[in-house]
Amino acid sequence: MSALLDIASLSVAFDGKPAITDVTLQVAAGDSVALVGGSGAGKSTVARAVAGLVTPTAGRIVFDGVDLTAVPQRRRRAARKGMHLVFQDPYASLPPTLRVGDIVAEPMVIHRIGDRDSRRQAAVAALESVHLRPAESFLQRYPHELSGGQRQRVAFARALVTRPKLLLADEPTSGLDASLRLEIVDLMGELAVSENMAVVHITHDLALAARSCRDIVVMQGGRIVEAGRADTVLADPAHEYTAALVGAVSGV
Amino acid sequence: MNVNRLTIVGTRTRSQRLALVGAVLLGALLLCAISAPWLAPFDPTERVTRPFAAPSAEHWLGADDVGHDLLSMLIHGARISLFVGIVAAVIATAVGTIVGVVAGYARGVVDTVLMRIVDVVLALPVLPLTIVIGVFAGPGLRTQIMVISAVLWAGLARELRAQVLTLRERDHIQAERAMGAGPGYVLWRHIAPSVVPLVVPQFVLTIKTAVLLEASLAFLGLGDISAASWGSMLSMAHARSAFLTDAWIWWVIPPGVAIAVTVLAFALLGNAIEERSHPILLPAKRSRKKAATAPAPVDPDVDAGAPLVIDDLTVVYGQDGRGATGVGFTVGAGELVALVGESGSGKSTVAAATMGLLPPAAQIVSGAVRVDGRDVAGMSPAELRGLRGNRIALIPQEALSALDPVYTIGSQIDEAVLAHRSCTRAQARERTLELLADVGLEADRVDAYPHQLSGGMRQRVVIAMALANEPDVLVADEPTSGLDVLREAEVLALLDELRVRRSLALLIVTHNLPVVERIADRIAVMKDGELVEIGTAEQVVGSPTHPYTRKLVESAPRLRPSLQEVFS
Repeated sequence: MSALLDIASLSVAFDGKPAITDVTLQVAAGDSVALVGGSGAGKSTVARAVAGLVTPTAGRIVFDGVDLTAVPQRRRRAARKGMHLVFQDPYASLPPTLRVGDIVAEPMVIHRIGDRDSRRQAAVAALESVHLRPAESFLQRYPHELSGGQRQRVAFARALVTRPKLLLADEPTSGLDASLRLEIVDLMGELAVSENMAVVHITHDLALAARSCRDIVVMQGGRIVEAGRADTVLADPAHEYTAALVGAVSGV
Repeated sequence: MNVNRLTIVGTRTRSQRLALVGAVLLGALLLCAISAPWLAPFDPTERVTRPFAAPSAEHWLGADDVGHDLLSMLIHGARISLFVGIVAAVIATAVGTIVGVVAGYARGVVDTVLMRIVDVVLALPVLPLTIVIGVFAGPGLRTQIMVISAVLWAGLARELRAQVLTLRERDHIQAERAMGAGPGYVLWRHIAPSVVPLVVPQFVLTIKTAVLLEASLAFLGLGDISAASWGSMLSMAHARSAFLTDAWIWWVIPPGVAIAVTVLAFALLGNAIEERSHPILLPAKRSRKKAATAPAPVDPDVDAGAPLVIDDLTVVYGQDGRGATGVGFTVGAGELVALVGESGSGKSTVAAATMGLLPPAAQIVSGAVRVDGRDVAGMSPAELRGLRGNRIALIPQEALSALDPVYTIGSQIDEAVLAHRSCTRAQARERTLELLADVGLEADRVDAYPHQLSGGMRQRVVIAMALANEPDVLVADEPTSGLDVLREAEVLALLDELRVRRSLALLIVTHNLPVVERIADRIAVMKDGELVEIGTAEQVVGSPTHPYTRKLVESAPRLRPSLQEVFS
């Protein structure tokens, strides 16, 4: 069986300095994988390379049978319909001049899906799935009128409208207050099941990773140092860096 | 709250009213310009009265040196001035916007080529350039418009390019690109609307400059001689000795006023447009804050002699609402108290009050903060400076912005030492090296610049600066934000160790309960400006009494059995 996302020997360098080196990673349809590591580990760079925001210096990214590193620009953009990247900071990732209804429907506009009415319906349905109810009351509001948690829900609603097969979430909870973090992570898990999406959750918090994902991939210094089932990795970390991360979260 | 809402509504109608004034003024000017042939009582090029005639019932503004009716000249002048000003500004703004946006978004070679052209245009002196182009192309309206647009677009292009460069890296634009949006779509739907609010005031200023430049060009003889603008009227008045007679009052002031009114009208309208295209400037539909009903808990272990005493503190921000209401607790020597709460809970207000660093809008209405028994609120600025750094020190949130990027960390710690004691540079450096050792940094880091250190190391530098003068009280405001979990644990362990070794009263302000629950002696929980719970870490985490605390405890993800389970 071929994986939904197949990253092979991927390397990215910024101004000659390697950010990630030789990263190989597979995500099957419906899978949930947590990418864990400290700051500078390169976990965000992996997601940004998959989303096409940075250009790989070497390696291959195959998504849904399309080699994103080989096909022309236009086909690459079309392939992005099948994936969505949710950013860390909901205060920055939503366009401040658009209303929530337009923000959520935007991926459909970009990929020319549906007409005005069907887009609106899709936006309402997506807002309902992220528990922003009544959805109609949110359509006309601007991001600055929402709380941080509501904004991140809007960002997730935007991720749903094109029914992507892969959801990339780059630290989606670290810009939020503590009491909202679990809500958002649980929402992500719930959506993954209901929409049958594969999820790559990037986080530095092992406890959140374990809660949201079946597999954990640990990165350090731009390389993958350990990968495996979440419970195995946590119970018996093979790499000392993983052990240190486990120790930091659970205290001594 | 009510008062505040009224003022917001008041500002809104005021800016709308001003926009209306601008629109009316502009409408009147445009109407004047369009209907000049019918509106003007005389032909402005015909001699209708004696030279230098004073204003009369027939000639409201009198006549110039030849006997032309000045009112008719003024009305006809509006045509030329507005036409040249607006057309030149439209061309300059359009060219400048396209060049700036394309250069900023495309980057690379396109950017380099376009910006070098901009540099050349900006480097050329305006006046000689206009004279050269003018002489080369011959006088006339077309020459004026061409010259004015040619010198005005470059500044706008450069300014917009800088804006687009930063805009391009914003998360929401990156999000669009990640969704598969092409450059055309991103430019049109997202960059353009964000750029419009920047272009509008520039456009207004460009019209103003264009109207003024037109006057200069007319003065230089590059205008259309058959069609006198306001600028030509001014230059004619100057050239034909209006200032030697009383005629300047009705010859110079009216066109001057006309130019001023035109600029004002564009400015009023421009501001309103800027506000509309920028919804964050509009008043938000806020819901009223719910009034809290539960009585605030009182610290059961109040120790009036503690190094830090916060006594029934109430802080109010302007008319906007309460920063903190009736907050009271103490931090004893060698004690670590964690002040936990989410954004808007008032925890940072309390932290700022302990340092005497409340913003001007904030006011302590009751209660007090006492450091070593002295009330911080009653201190003079000089006394406060003596207190800060000496008896009480702050570890600010962002280590990177708290450090000066152009000095080595050694010299910055030296400064902190020298600020409060008289000693030689050599002695200060000695102390600096001790401090570095205390916070676990190697001595050879002393000559490093902040950007050469990792986030965790920078936080250690900031802690060293806070300790420079052996304070009794240390306030740490989110000391680990921006650090990853490993660095976070290290920094907290360091703070914990230091407060024991130096018997510091340590107050850690944080939104993250799990990271402090293992090291804090006591935990104070704040919500909506009130202290909702305070007690030992065991009490607060093991058996929270307030529903909010319970939610906070339960919502913290944990890998292993938490304190809650250990203690219960």
